Amino acid sequence: MKSSSVVLLVLCFLFCFFTNVFSDTLSSSEEKSTKPIDTTISQEPKASEQEIVQSVPETKSESVKSEISSEDIKKSDTQAKESSQQEIIEEEKEETIQIADPLYPWNKAMYHFNDKLYFWVLKPVSKGYSAILPEDMRIAVSNVFYNIATPVRFAGCLLQLKIKDSVNELIRFLYNSTAGVLGLADAAKEDLGIARKEEDLGQTLGSYGIGHGFYIVWPFIGPSSLRDTFGKIGDGFLDPVNYVNPAEASIGITAYDKVNTVSLHIGDYEDLKKSAIDPYVSIRDAYTQYRKKKVEE
Amino acid sequence: MVILKVTDAKSFPGSIRECKTFNLYKMEVEMRKSIFTIILICLLIPLVSFAGAPLDSVKAQINKVLDVLRDPSLKGEAGKKTKKAKIRNISDSFFDYTELSKRTLGQNWSKLNTQQQNEFISLYKQILEDAYADKIVTYTDEKVNFGKETQLTEKTVEVQTVILTKKADIPINYRIIQKGNEWKVYDVVIEGVSLISNYRNQFREILSNKTPDALLETLRKKVGKA
Repeated sequence: MKSSSVVLLVLCFLFCFFTNVFSDTLSSSEEKSTKPIDTTISQEPKASEQEIVQSVPETKSESVKSEISSEDIKKSDTQAKESSQQEIIEEEKEETIQIADPLYPWNKAMYHFNDKLYFWVLKPVSKGYSAILPEDMRIAVSNVFYNIATPVRFAGCLLQLKIKDSVNELIRFLYNSTAGVLGLADAAKEDLGIARKEEDLGQTLGSYGIGHGFYIVWPFIGPSSLRDTFGKIGDGFLDPVNYVNPAEASIGITAYDKVNTVSLHIGDYEDLKKSAIDPYVSIRDAYTQYRKKKVEE
Repeated sequence: MVILKVTDAKSFPGSIRECKTFNLYKMEVEMRKSIFTIILICLLIPLVSFAGAPLDSVKAQINKVLDVLRDPSLKGEAGKKTKKAKIRNISDSFFDYTELSKRTLGQNWSKLNTQQQNEFISLYKQILEDAYADKIVTYTDEKVNFGKETQLTEKTVEVQTVILTKKADIPINYRIIQKGNEWKVYDVVIEGVSLISNYRNQFREILSNKTPDALLETLRKKVGKA
């Protein structure tokens, strides 16, 4: 009886000790796999990580001072090399796929065009518009447009064989059109807990393994790619707004949708530009990363 | 002390040891001891084997920020300024700007000498703070939902959160790294867009045809320190 509790205590300490040691050996064993090093090094992985900054540029001077215990120098050298190598490897793992940009001159020109379009036309118009219509109403309007575009997402789900999502889209459309009063409210999300899920043809093509091709910026529309442009055209056929007659009315509705959307996001583009060092590259990369995530979802 | 008492009991004469009440007493002591050890085990395991769960540490920091944003005593322009200063303080302990800078520049990091690296860290930090402090201060009654945590590598974890705003739900994932006993943020992924890889592409483009000094000059201009 007595001994059992003592044994338990000892076991507990041993367990704690080993979990600690184990996590340490894990890290050192990875280092060892690349190059056999003395066991003493495994005790200082944290220090070595912080010292890369200093030790990398100092390697030259260290090799000159060969008088000082050569072993130490070798150790710190290998450490620096290993950790910087490890870092680079990690970096490359995380690296996102870059998009080709052969139309750079055109794209850059269109980027400037859209930039001016935003600051000179879209932003002032949207500001005036939002002064008239309160935010809640504008959100309701955007919900209506979102609801109308259901066929686009429904087809996207079906083409990717996401049966559950396509059923959800159908439920959302029926529920929001009725209980949500013509889609003014996103009742399906609030009452049924079915969240929005963006799907489009570009994503569908992406899920088939088709790459972007290259980056392309369209006037009025903004960043896109070869693949997503084809996707957009296909989506256009499924968006009821494009079937409104006459064509002027259809364009007018699309423009209104754009103004309404912009009115809800005034400041976002400014923030993006403000935070970026090179806004063109930042937007191109953000577009690529954003679409990649959408395709993976 | 308790253990000593019981071991002493062994040396007692048989008559007392076999006494029922004494046996009951002994059992009670044993019981208490085993309960004590179980409690000890429960207490020790989390203390020793984890450096503080990553999700909890992110939660704690974000809640600190939310507390500042919801502080009713901070109103108007002056309030905004104090809010920004407070958030800056929190972000200093929440973010690891050295790690963030190293990972942002990636292979290009070694092109900078130690002095340039240090300047880069401080300039980059200022750019990020300027860009995001303004944005964060506009939030007031938004809610933050915490999702799951995913182990990325041995020392890094991604914690998922979602900011629920009136207009949309914005997924924001924090990538954190274990530094000693703490978890520090080295990347923020907003709607699938990783902050550091977005900047990496911008810096790479600049460094492909310019020197590190030119890059630092661009950054200095950006923060208004030219």
